[in-house]
Amino acid sequence: MPRATSWAFLSPWVLAFGLFGLYPFAFSLFASFTDYSPVRAEGARFVGLANYARALHDPAFWSALGNTAFFVVGTIPLTTALALALALAVQPAFRGRSLFRTGFFLPSVVSVVVLSLVFKGLYAPNGSLNGLLAALHLPTPAWLLDPDTALPAIMAMDVWSASGYYMVIFLAGLEAIPRDLYDAARLEGATARDQLVHITLPLLRPTLLFVLVVNTIRSLQIFAEVFVMTRGGPLHRTTTVVYYLYEQAFYRFDLGYASALAYLLFVLTLALAWLQMRAVGRPAEASA
Amino acid sequence: MKRPARWVAAALAAVLSCAPARKPAEEIVFWQFWPAEVVTPLLEEFEREHPGVKVRMEQLTWQSGQEKIVAAVAAGTVPDLCEIGSTWMPRLLAGGRLADWSAGVADLKPALRGWELCTVGDAIYGVPWVLGTRALFFNKTLFARARLDSTRPPETWVDLQRAAAAIQRLGHGVHGCGVQAGERYVLSKKFLPFAWGNGGEILSEDLKHAVFDSPANREALEFYLGLRRVGMIAQQDALDREFKEGRLGLAISGAWLFRQIAKEAPALRYGVALVPRPANERGAHASWAGGEVLVSFNDAKRKQLALELARFLVRPENALALAGAAKSVQPATVGADTSAYYRAHPLEAVFVRQFETARFTPNHPVWGDMEAAIEDEVEQALYDRKSAARAVEDAQARLEELAGKK
Repeated sequence: MPRATSWAFLSPWVLAFGLFGLYPFAFSLFASFTDYSPVRAEGARFVGLANYARALHDPAFWSALGNTAFFVVGTIPLTTALALALALAVQPAFRGRSLFRTGFFLPSVVSVVVLSLVFKGLYAPNGSLNGLLAALHLPTPAWLLDPDTALPAIMAMDVWSASGYYMVIFLAGLEAIPRDLYDAARLEGATARDQLVHITLPLLRPTLLFVLVVNTIRSLQIFAEVFVMTRGGPLHRTTTVVYYLYEQAFYRFDLGYASALAYLLFVLTLALAWLQMRAVGRPAEASA
Repeated sequence: MKRPARWVAAALAAVLSCAPARKPAEEIVFWQFWPAEVVTPLLEEFEREHPGVKVRMEQLTWQSGQEKIVAAVAAGTVPDLCEIGSTWMPRLLAGGRLADWSAGVADLKPALRGWELCTVGDAIYGVPWVLGTRALFFNKTLFARARLDSTRPPETWVDLQRAAAAIQRLGHGVHGCGVQAGERYVLSKKFLPFAWGNGGEILSEDLKHAVFDSPANREALEFYLGLRRVGMIAQQDALDREFKEGRLGLAISGAWLFRQIAKEAPALRYGVALVPRPANERGAHASWAGGEVLVSFNDAKRKQLALELARFLVRPENALALAGAAKSVQPATVGADTSAYYRAHPLEAVFVRQFETARFTPNHPVWGDMEAAIEDEVEQALYDRKSAARAVEDAQARLEELAGKK
C-alpha cells in the first residue's frame, strides 16, 4: 500500500490525537513556565521554574501527594490480588460462569460519577452500610465525614469497581497460557499450588506488568470519585494531586501553577512506570 | 453570456443582497445556566421587542459551565452576554476583562439589590439578575412533638439552641439542628451568618486588612460549635435529605429545598424563618447572600445589544418569571416580596425578606482563597483539632496574608 494511503487511513486518529492530545500536552508544558491565568486581561508572563519551585514548597501539594500515594499503595496490591483471584475463580468452565464474569465486570462499565453517587448514599450517616452495621451491633463510623475513614472508604469503592476490569485482562492472560504445560505438570504429579506458582504466575508476568502499570497510572490520576463524594474534605484528607490541581486551575484560575503540578505528576508517573517495568518486566523465560 | 453582462448580473446580485429587506438577523450569543423552558419564552419576548435581533442561547451546566466560561475567556471566544455566579465574580472583576456598564445601568441602581456583586470602586461591571440566600427551615411536626410552639420559630441564638435541644431529646434518629460538615463553598455560608449577625467582620472596609479575629467572631464560632451537641454534622445533601424525611428539626438551607420538598416530601409540615440573631435587641438576622450577575466582556462583539438584553431580563416581571419557576433564587428586584407571587408563597417570601439583613462577601480578588481559609479553620474546630479561639486567630493570620495578594 502506498505511503499516502496509509497516512490517509491514519489521518483521523493523527488529527484527533494532535488536536486533543499533543496540542494541550505541549500547551500545558508551555503554560507551566508562565503565570498564565485565563481571566486576566494582560497576557501570560514567563516565570521560568517559579511554578515548580512553588510546588516543592507548597505544603498543600505535598499533602495531596501523600494522599495520592496512600491511595495507590493501598489499592493497587488489593485490586491486583482480587482481580487475579477472581480471574482464577471464573476461568474454569462451570455452570453460570459467564454470569459471574459479567457480574464482576459490570462495575467498570458504569460511569464513575454514578458509582460515586451510589456509594455516597451507601456511606451516608443513615445510609445502608451503617444500617447493616447497626443491625449487627457494630460501630457506625461517619465514613466520608470522618477524616480518618474518608479516603479508605473511597479506596474500598475503587478496589470493588476496578477489580472486575483487571480480572478480564488476567483472564485473557490465562487463556494465552498453553494447556499442555498444565497437562505435562499433572503427569509429573504437580499439585494445583505447584501449577499456580511455577506455571501460571511466571507466564502471567507480562499481564501482571500491564495491570500494574495501567492501574498505577489510573490511580495516580484519581479525581472524579473525590469530586463527587468529598470535594477533597474532610480536613483535606481526600485531596488528591489531580483534585488539587483542578482546584488551582478552575477555582483559582492559576493555570500556570496547575500545569506545573500536572507535569510533576507526569514525571512521577513516568518514573513509577519505569520502576515497575524494571522490577516486574523481565522476560518470563528468565525466571522459569 | 458575454463578459459585461456577467458583471452586471454580479453587481445586481451584490446590491440586492445588501438591500435592507434582506438584512440578515443580528445574532446575540447568551450563555446561562437555567432550564431552556424557563428562559426561552423570555428570549422570544425580547426578540419580538427587537425585530431583526436573534438570541442564540446556550444552556451551561452547573457542573462544567464554569470551566467552559474560563476556557472561552482564555480563547477570546466569549459570548455577548453571560450569567456568572457570585462565587466567580471577584476573580473576573480583578481580571479586567468584563465590560464596564457603569453608564448603561446607572438608572437601575435604586430598583435592584446585589450591586455589591459586580462593583469595584465606582465602576459597575454587570447587573444583578437573581439572588440567593440562606434561611432557617424548621419542621413543625417535630416542634409539636417536642412541645414547642410551631408558630414561633427561634428568634435568637438561645431560642435556636433550646429548640434544637428539645428536638434532639426525642431520639430515635431525630436530630435537633443540622450542623454543616466541612464542605467547600458551603461551610462558610452556614457559619458566616452567625459571625455577621454578631457584628463580626472579615475584612476592613478598604479590603486591605483582615479583621476576623474579634470577640464577636470567636463568640459566633463557639456558638456554632455548641450546636453539634444538639444536632448532627453532615454535608449539605445529607442534611437536606434528613430534613425532607422529617428527622431534622432545624436547618439553615437554601431555597432549592422548596422544589425538593414539593416533589419528594409534599406532606412535610414546615416553616421558614430568618436566621436567628444573637439576642433580642442585639445583633442582626444576618445571612449569606450571593447571586447571578449578567455580564459582558470587552472582547464581546455586541456589547450594546447585550446590555439591552440584560436590562430586559432584570425587569421585575422577567426576573420573577425565572425565580418563580426555579424557586432556588429570588429576583434582585427591591420590594419583590410585595408582588402577587410572593404574597401567594409566604415561605418563599421569607427569603426575599432575608435579603434585607443578608450580607454579600467582599469583592477581594482572592476571596475564593479567603473563603477556603475560613472554611479550613472552622472545619478544624468542628473536628476538635483546634479551639474556636485558636481557629479564629489562625484564620486571621491567613486572611491577613491573603489580603495583601492581588
